[in-house]
Amino acid sequence: MDPASTTSSGSSRAPAAGYSRSPDAAAACGPPPEFPAGLRVLLVDDDVTCLKIIGMMLRKCLYDVTTCSRAAEALSLLRERKGWFDLVLSDVYMPDMDGFKLLEHIGLEMDLPVIMMSADDHKDVVMKGVTHGAVDYLIKPVRMELLKNIWQHVVRKKRFGMKDSEQSGSTEESDRQKKALEEGDNVTSGSGPNWRTMKRKKEGKDDDEEEEDDTEEREDPSQTKKPRVVWSVELHQQFMTAVNQLGIDKAVPKKILELMKVPGLTRENVASHLQKYRLYLRRLSVPQNQARIDGPYTSAQEVPFRSGGVVGFDLQALSVSGQLLPALHFGARRATDTGIGTPTFNQMGFLSSGSSANVSSARSSPMYQMTNRGLSYLSGSPNNIESRQIDQPYHLAQQHGRNTPLKVEEETSVFFNMPPSQTRPLFPGANTNDQLNRSLLMAMSQPGQQFSLSQQHDNFLGQSISRGQVLNGIEAHDSRLASTVRQQMLPYEISSDVSERTVNTLNSSLPGNQISSLYGAVPQSLNSNIQNRCINESVASLYPHSSSIGPTPMTGSVQTSSKTSNLKGISDLPPSYVSSQNKSLDWKMKGVNLPYQSGQQFGSGLNNLDSGSSPATYQDRNTINACTVRKEILSVRTEIEHEKVECISQCNTAVLVENSFSMKSEVLPDTKLQDAFYDSNIISNELMNVVGKQLQEGTGEDASELFDGYSLDM
Amino acid sequence: MECSSLHRQLAIIKKNLFDQGFLDEQFYQLEELQDDASPNFVEEVVTLFFRDSSRLLTNIEQALREKHPQDFHRLDVLMYQLKDSASSIGAAKVKNECTVFRELCDKENLEGCLRSFQKVKKEHAILRQKLENYFQLQRQVGPVEKATRSGN
Repeated sequence: MDPASTTSSGSSRAPAAGYSRSPDAAAACGPPPEFPAGLRVLLVDDDVTCLKIIGMMLRKCLYDVTTCSRAAEALSLLRERKGWFDLVLSDVYMPDMDGFKLLEHIGLEMDLPVIMMSADDHKDVVMKGVTHGAVDYLIKPVRMELLKNIWQHVVRKKRFGMKDSEQSGSTEESDRQKKALEEGDNVTSGSGPNWRTMKRKKEGKDDDEEEEDDTEEREDPSQTKKPRVVWSVELHQQFMTAVNQLGIDKAVPKKILELMKVPGLTRENVASHLQKYRLYLRRLSVPQNQARIDGPYTSAQEVPFRSGGVVGFDLQALSVSGQLLPALHFGARRATDTGIGTPTFNQMGFLSSGSSANVSSARSSPMYQMTNRGLSYLSGSPNNIESRQIDQPYHLAQQHGRNTPLKVEEETSVFFNMPPSQTRPLFPGANTNDQLNRSLLMAMSQPGQQFSLSQQHDNFLGQSISRGQVLNGIEAHDSRLASTVRQQMLPYEISSDVSERTVNTLNSSLPGNQISSLYGAVPQSLNSNIQNRCINESVASLYPHSSSIGPTPMTGSVQTSSKTSNLKGISDLPPSYVSSQNKSLDWKMKGVNLPYQSGQQFGSGLNNLDSGSSPATYQDRNTINACTVRKEILSVRTEIEHEKVECISQCNTAVLVENSFSMKSEVLPDTKLQDAFYDSNIISNELMNVVGKQLQEGTGEDASELFDGYSLDM
Repeated sequence: MECSSLHRQLAIIKKNLFDQGFLDEQFYQLEELQDDASPNFVEEVVTLFFRDSSRLLTNIEQALREKHPQDFHRLDVLMYQLKDSASSIGAAKVKNECTVFRELCDKENLEGCLRSFQKVKKEHAILRQKLENYFQLQRQVGPVEKATRSGN
C-alpha cells in the first residue's frame, strides 16, 4: 500500500488523492479485500510530532491514513466524505476542541469507531473515553504493535452494528452505553441503504402504517457499513400506536415490539426508540411560557395541543425524539402554560427530526399540541443558552419552509444552542408545529444559553447534514417550530450523542422554565451516545411524514404528521442501556431516565420515578445522575428559571463534560430543575426537567465547548 | 577503518543516550519506522520535535512570567503538550521532568514550577545537542550504514 496516502493536516483526503481504496466502497460492502490493509484511518492530533510518528506507524501497518491537526478539520473531512473512513484515531487534548467532544460528534453523526489517544493515563480520563463511546483508548507514546490491531474495531462495529446490538470492544461500562447508542444509532442513523429505504418509504407512504417498510429497512443486510434500523414514519406510527395501546406508562419495549409486529425489529431498537420518544415527550411537556415562542413561531401549526397534562401527541414520538424534546422545551419554556403542549410538539418534532427535509407540514400540527408548551419549553431552554442561540434557530426555523438540509441543521443547532451535534439529533419533532418551532426558538432565544449559537451552529451544521435534511422535511410544516424541532431532531439523528447534547442545548436555551422539556433533552445529552441514539430513533419514528432527510437515518420521517401518536405512552423509554423501562412513570419522568451518559444510571433512576413521586425526588435523581454524569453542565441551568432549560444545556455540556466552556459551570443540576419539573405540566415537565437537566449538563458544556473556538462549520 | 570506527562511535553514542536515560524505547519505535521510503524519518521527526517544543517552551516561559494570578491550568496544558511530544520521540528525561512540572502545577506551587521548568529547559537543550551530534555522525557514516538498531 502506498504509505504516501497520508496527508498532513489540511486536507489529506484519501479519496481525492487517488488512494488505493475507492471512496465509494465506504458505504458499501465491507473492507477491501486486502483488509486490514487499506483500512481508512483518520488521524487527528494537534501535535505535529505525534501526527507524523503515528501517521507513519499507521502507514507501516498498511493503512490508508489521512491526518489532520484540528478537530474541526477532522469533522469536516468526515462529513465531506461520509462513509469513506473506517476508523478515527484522535488525541484527547486538542486546542480547538476537546477530543471527547469530537468523539461525540463522530459518534452521533457518523458512528465510526473512534480510538482515543493521550499521554494522560489517568483512570478518569480513560473512563471518560469509555463513557463517551470510544472503542479504545491508547496511552501515548503509542507503539506500533497496538496500531496493528485497530482494525478489529472496525470489523467489530460493522459486524455487531448490523445486529442492532453493538458489542464494541469497549469496556463493560461503555458497552451498555454503546449498546444503547448503537441501537439508537441503528435506528436513527440508518446509514446508506437503510436511510434510503426509509426515505423512499416515507415519500411513498405518508403516514401509512406499513409494517413492512420498516422491516425492510431494518433488515438491511450487512452490506452497509452500519445497518441500522431506520425509524420511518410508518414505523414510528406503529410504534406510537403500540405505545398508546399499552399506555405510556406501561409501554415496555417488549410489549411494544409485540404489538408492532414488525419483523426484524428487535427489542433493543424499540427500547432505544422508546427512550428517545420519552425524552421527546418530556421535553414537550415542559410547561413553557410561550410568550417568546409565539413570536417567532407564528406560523406554528396548531398542533392539537393537548395541554392538560400529557401532550396530546404521542409521547412515544417524543421519547424517541428525546432530542426533540429539548427543542420543544425551548419553546415550551416560554409558555409555561403550554407545558403539555410539548408532547404534541414533540411528536412532530420527534418524527420530523427523523424525517428528511420534506417534512410535511402536517408534522408540526399534530404533534405540536404542545406548541405553546413545547415552545416555551424550548425557549426556556437551559439557562445558559444564550438567547442568541435561540434566535438563531428561530430564524432558521422560520425557514423551515425551505429545504435546506444544512440549514436545518444549523438551525437546529442554533436552536438548541447545543453543540451542534447534540442539537441536531435531538430534535425529533422538528416537524411539529410551528409552535414547536416557536418554542424552540423561544427557547433558543432564551438568554443564558451558554452555547454560543454560532458555535453550536457550526457544530451542528457540520455535523448533521442529514439533520438538515430532516429539518427540511420538518420544515414542511410551516411552523417554525417544526423546523426548530427538526433541527433538534436532526442533531439527534446524526448522532445519538449529539442529539443528546442538542437536547441539552435546547434545554438550556429554554428559559429555565422549560427545564422539564429540557430535561428531555438534557438527559439525552448526558448520554451522549446513548441519547443520541435514542433520540434518533425516536425522532425517526416521530416523523412519519417527514420525508427522510437524506442521510439522516433517523427516521426518515420526521413527520410532524398530525398523527400524533400519543406520546404519552412513551414514558417508558427504557433505553436499552438504561435498563429500566420505567414505564409506568409518567413519561415525563421517564424521560429523565434516559440514559444520558451515565444515562443508564439516570435512566434507571428516573424511570423509577413515578409520576406520582414527588418531582423533586425525581428530579433529584436525575439531577444526581446528571450531576454525576455531567458535573459542569448543570451550570447551564441556573440561568434558566426553568429547570428544564438547564437540562438541555447541561446535557450538552454533560456530554462534553469536560470542557466547560462558556457554559456556566454550574454544573450540577440543581434542584431548581426539579422544582421546575414540578410544574403543572406535570409529566412532561418532570421528564423534561430531568432530561433537560441532564441534557443541559451535558449539552451545556458540550455546546459551549464545542463551540468555543470551534466555529467551523462542520 | 574510518567507517567502522565511525560506526562504532555512533553505536557508542547511541548506547549512551539510552543508558543515561535520555532516550527510551520509543526511540526504537521511531527507528523501526525508518525505511527506504523514508530514510531520514527519525531525524525529521526529531527536528520537528525540537522546533515545536522550543515554541512550547517559550510559551510556557512567558506564561510563567505573567503576573499573578498564575494560570496553572494553562501551564499544565502547555506542559502536557510538551510531554506528549517528548514521549512520542522517546525523550525520556524531558518527559519525566515535564511530569514533575505538572505535578507541581497541580499543587500550584509556583516556585517549584519555576525550578522544574528550568530543568525541563535544560534537559531539552542537552538532548537537543546530543541528538544533533548523533545525527551528524550518522550522516557521516553514510546512508548505507544507518545506525538504526546497530550497535546497541
